[in-house]
Amino acid sequence: MTASIEPTPTAAEARKTARQMRRFDNPWLNPKLFWGAGLLLGIVALGILGRIFWDPDLVFTGSAMLKLPPVGFENLRGQAGTLANPLGTDGGGRDVLALLIIGAPNSLFVGVLASLIGMGLGIFLGFTAGFVGGRTDDVIRVLSDVMITIPPLLILVVFQSAFGDVSLTMMAFLIAGFVWQSPTRLIRAQVLSMRESGYVQMARLSGASTFHIMFREMLPNLVPYLFGSFIANVTTSIVTAVGLEVLGLGPQRIPTLGRTIYEAINAGALIQNLWWWWGIPTALLAVMFIGLLLINLGLDEVSNPRLRKLS
Amino acid sequence: MTSPVLTLKDLSIDFPTPTGLVHAVRDVSLTIQSGRRVGFIGESGSGKTTTALAIMRMLAEPGRVAGGSIALGRDQTDVLSLDEEAMRKTRLSRVSYIPQGAMNSLNPVMRIENQLWDGIVAHEGKTDPGELKRRSDAALASVGLPAHTGRLYPHELSGGMKQRVCIALGVILTPELIIADEPTSALDVVTQRHVMQTLTKVQAEIGSGLILIGHDMGLMAQSVDELAVLKDGELVEHGLTRQIIESPEHPYTQELIHSVPLVGGESFLSPAIGAPSSQKSSAEPLLEFREVSKVYGANTALHPMSFALDGTVPQIISIVGQSGSGKSTMGSLMLGFNAPTSGEVLFEGKDVSRLSPAERLHFRKDVQAVFQDPYACFNPFYRVNHALKFPYERFGLSKGAADTQRAMEDACVAVGLDPDLILGRYPHQLSGGQRQRLIVARALMLQPKLLIADEPVSMVDASLRATILKNIYDLKDRYGISILYITHDLATAYHVSDYVIVLYHGSVAEAGPPKEVIGAPRHPYTQLLIDSIPWPDMNRSWGTSRSADDDVLALKKMAEERKTIFRGEVDGFTLRSFAA
Amino acid sequence: MGQIPASYLMNRLVTLSLTVFIAATLIWIIPRLSPVDPADIMLGRMAAGAGSVANSEEILAQLRANFGLDDPLILQYLKYLWNTLTFNFGLSTASFPTPVSSLIAAALPWTLGLMILSLVITFVIGNLLGALMVWERSPKLVKVAIPAAMVFTSIPPILSGLLLMWIFSAKLRWFPLTGAYGLTVEPGWSWDFVQSVLYHGFLPAMSIVIVTFGFWALGMRGLMITVQGEDYTKLAEAKGLKPRYILYKYMIRNAILPQITAFALKIGLLVAGQVLVERIFAYNGMGKLLYDAILDQDFPVIQGVSFVIILMTALAVFVVDLVYPLIDPRIRHERVSA
Repeated sequence: MTASIEPTPTAAEARKTARQMRRFDNPWLNPKLFWGAGLLLGIVALGILGRIFWDPDLVFTGSAMLKLPPVGFENLRGQAGTLANPLGTDGGGRDVLALLIIGAPNSLFVGVLASLIGMGLGIFLGFTAGFVGGRTDDVIRVLSDVMITIPPLLILVVFQSAFGDVSLTMMAFLIAGFVWQSPTRLIRAQVLSMRESGYVQMARLSGASTFHIMFREMLPNLVPYLFGSFIANVTTSIVTAVGLEVLGLGPQRIPTLGRTIYEAINAGALIQNLWWWWGIPTALLAVMFIGLLLINLGLDEVSNPRLRKLS
Repeated sequence: MTSPVLTLKDLSIDFPTPTGLVHAVRDVSLTIQSGRRVGFIGESGSGKTTTALAIMRMLAEPGRVAGGSIALGRDQTDVLSLDEEAMRKTRLSRVSYIPQGAMNSLNPVMRIENQLWDGIVAHEGKTDPGELKRRSDAALASVGLPAHTGRLYPHELSGGMKQRVCIALGVILTPELIIADEPTSALDVVTQRHVMQTLTKVQAEIGSGLILIGHDMGLMAQSVDELAVLKDGELVEHGLTRQIIESPEHPYTQELIHSVPLVGGESFLSPAIGAPSSQKSSAEPLLEFREVSKVYGANTALHPMSFALDGTVPQIISIVGQSGSGKSTMGSLMLGFNAPTSGEVLFEGKDVSRLSPAERLHFRKDVQAVFQDPYACFNPFYRVNHALKFPYERFGLSKGAADTQRAMEDACVAVGLDPDLILGRYPHQLSGGQRQRLIVARALMLQPKLLIADEPVSMVDASLRATILKNIYDLKDRYGISILYITHDLATAYHVSDYVIVLYHGSVAEAGPPKEVIGAPRHPYTQLLIDSIPWPDMNRSWGTSRSADDDVLALKKMAEERKTIFRGEVDGFTLRSFAA
Repeated sequence: MGQIPASYLMNRLVTLSLTVFIAATLIWIIPRLSPVDPADIMLGRMAAGAGSVANSEEILAQLRANFGLDDPLILQYLKYLWNTLTFNFGLSTASFPTPVSSLIAAALPWTLGLMILSLVITFVIGNLLGALMVWERSPKLVKVAIPAAMVFTSIPPILSGLLLMWIFSAKLRWFPLTGAYGLTVEPGWSWDFVQSVLYHGFLPAMSIVIVTFGFWALGMRGLMITVQGEDYTKLAEAKGLKPRYILYKYMIRNAILPQITAFALKIGLLVAGQVLVERIFAYNGMGKLLYDAILDQDFPVIQGVSFVIILMTALAVFVVDLVYPLIDPRIRHERVSA
């Protein structure tokens, strides 16, 4: 802020500022978005390539020796890791690599599906509240205020304890019932402010239908916000799904990362130093969350230009 | 006895950007004597605010002083060589800053008096609370605010009151120099006069120097002793205000003086000979209000009003008023954006709020608008063509893509824009003036019967205002479109309109032909408005701060009376106000 | 200080009661929608696990009463609502015949203590660091180190809990593996006990703090950037105020307001995260109670714990909402000036 007499910036610094300014011009080209998307695509690639180049049947119990360490390590019984199970095996003799190949895309799938459904609901309710107004708006507003307070995990615990086993898709639908609130609130607020904006008034003057105003005039400008909200919801959904799995709920017969961790903890893997059993799924989940966070930070810069100055 | 309070010598300020260094200020030299008021005038980007911020050592990154010196006060302290702590102590106690945008200049979660006290404590250390209270009350009293104002929070004050608090803050430590950066830019003319008079009064009392930054030559003429005209970072002219106003040397100064519209004097318009008749198709009046009123909760925005605009001969009807007068409410009622609380708004005999979908589309085509904010009128997602093309096609005017393209190009040319440079761009790539002209071009393409122009020039640079008004005037003159011109600016209304309605608190104060209403006002409200307008005329008295206080009382009384004065009729327009 | 406008208070009260009501209703409806009879599942599993079930007659009767198989539906529902609001959740099936409410009463203080501690620490640290990231005068280190640490903020506390537990409990043996206090100390107000509680609570609290402070820091950073550009901050500098004073009284004071609103919205998710952390550390709180109940298919406990946690969350939100007008004068006057 404070002006002082500084030496003239060097050519290198000038180039650096120029590079930052170019990024300023097209906010979608920012390194955070690239890295975040890269990490997530890596996980998707693991799922696809893994099924081709590795044997997914190794996820079944007893398909290998029990509690084998990853290659280059030894377990407490002095067994060395082998290339047949490069990331080791769990207490049930399941191959950890195969668990990742099957489990990681499952977690992403639940997150993305739940978030998509939640977004759909949110867009519908947000636009309805913003456009219809009056009673409808009041109901939607209060309902989203209420539902945002209730932690989804606990209702889902009740649900799954009562229903027993659920499928992945079913779980995604259940979680979706708790992730529509924030997009609803966001869109409602944006619609209310955009309704009074000059270009929406211009569109009304141009004889535009409500449909046109919503989807052609407003929605394109909401894209960065919607995208950000979507990614945040994917994170919330995966966290909720993993939470359920770690409590021993969620799909019982399908391998998921959360369920693997659940079994590891129950088998005392922490004390027995079977770090690969719980550690590798944990690390992969961490990579997934970091990827999502980076995308979200990148999107923040898209929708809030002021943040760009600092990065 | 005077002594210099500020000496700028060859001051240069640079901003490094990717495309190279921008010289925001170049070799400005200037001396300000104590007790003198100096105006820094120029358009945005002329370097006037940058210079002021350099004196405060508060330049925004990455700006920096590239050369020259700044000497402050009687001892001619070298501001640029002070260390951080010494500079901090200098601010407010020796040079104070009254910011633009008083709306957000006060901390919203702190009481007013605390915001005065922390300034004192920061410079004088821990002070006795009683003493603090006494000094803050005295400072508030000096700007005409009662002591209890100190206990309030900023959101409980009006814009004018907030700006006066900022002035109180600026003089509380009796600095040698006060810098006021467009202190009245967000205020209406009556409040503007009040605030400016308060500022010059307290400045005279403490005998400090004053830098008034602004772009309005009228305001300058009425308030400062010397003028410094800046253009593109250079000081192009400096001298006594009277001398500069009466015989400006630099062409840019002349342009600034002429861009202020005057009541009376020569018109900037050149009416076409043999104006075309309107394209009106029905025998009913084009637009009619039947006892229309609008109430928002407990607040009556518009008292019952009736008028009929015939429209056979195209006319411009001006609706003049300050913020809160109900003029924009009228505009939105006419456009059918809002339903009246009582009464009917009729377009060609049909109630606007009860149109069938087909009629509605016709109504939309026939009634178009130009809004105040040209920045908001374009959807940032689309190229600017979208705003022109979409309605043209929607109303079925297009005979194919080539026709649309030609119509857009013709409309651009008609408002003086180069279609090759404008069409196909994104809104943020165009200036406010270009966008507003494009909105006029859009109206032209659609050939409406009626145009609602709601403050069309209040947000564009002064030098472009006349051009855009001329474009709008041409719509009537060459294309036979009737226009409702909604504005706060009496001077432009005087020149463009056939009939003027002055609104105050939702009812008509005075109405009639502009020569009568604005040229020789009879209603005290109209008189007050006209007296409050600052003009670049050194011989005109702008009142004293005592009269400004009286004005506030008088205004309250007028709001209660709701008296209407009719000043004569014109053909094709009849007004009946049901006020009182 | 001014008082809170009545309409604002009413609004919050309505939201609070609706939240409690909807949560209670969902917990009642869900088992009734299930195609399988929860009583059957439970007894079946218990029988499968233990061979035979002691007190099975009584347990069945208790389940009947709980699921109210004899009354008309609406009466069952009203009875249930009344019971829930009076914290009468019936008897636990796993540790029959202990009332669910006494199990909860024993676990609740642990969860509340851990929650208040971790939420407050993470909120304070996160916001302070976020503010320092923007402040021009912060040491360079802050601006480089924090964004790097921020990468971990997206990870749920359950994962960080596992990692901390493995490093500090299993490997280094600096901290205990499980429990909320040592087996050798008697619960009571003795220094030994307090020490033991702090010792056991440190890792669970840390595993929440290290992954949640970044969320607040990030939010605060964005808000501080906005506040930094505000006219009042500029004027504060022009007033010659001391930089530290500007940071606290002008910048943080304003930037914290939306963060407090965000806090109210986030409490639900944070509490859920904590429940899972308690489960990993076998901390004697609601999380462990819930986990054990899931393992034992102890449905009354699952219902009771879920309801109490949701109630706790809703009350926390309510308290935050009540505090808000005290620190933002604009809310206090909203209705008065309108």
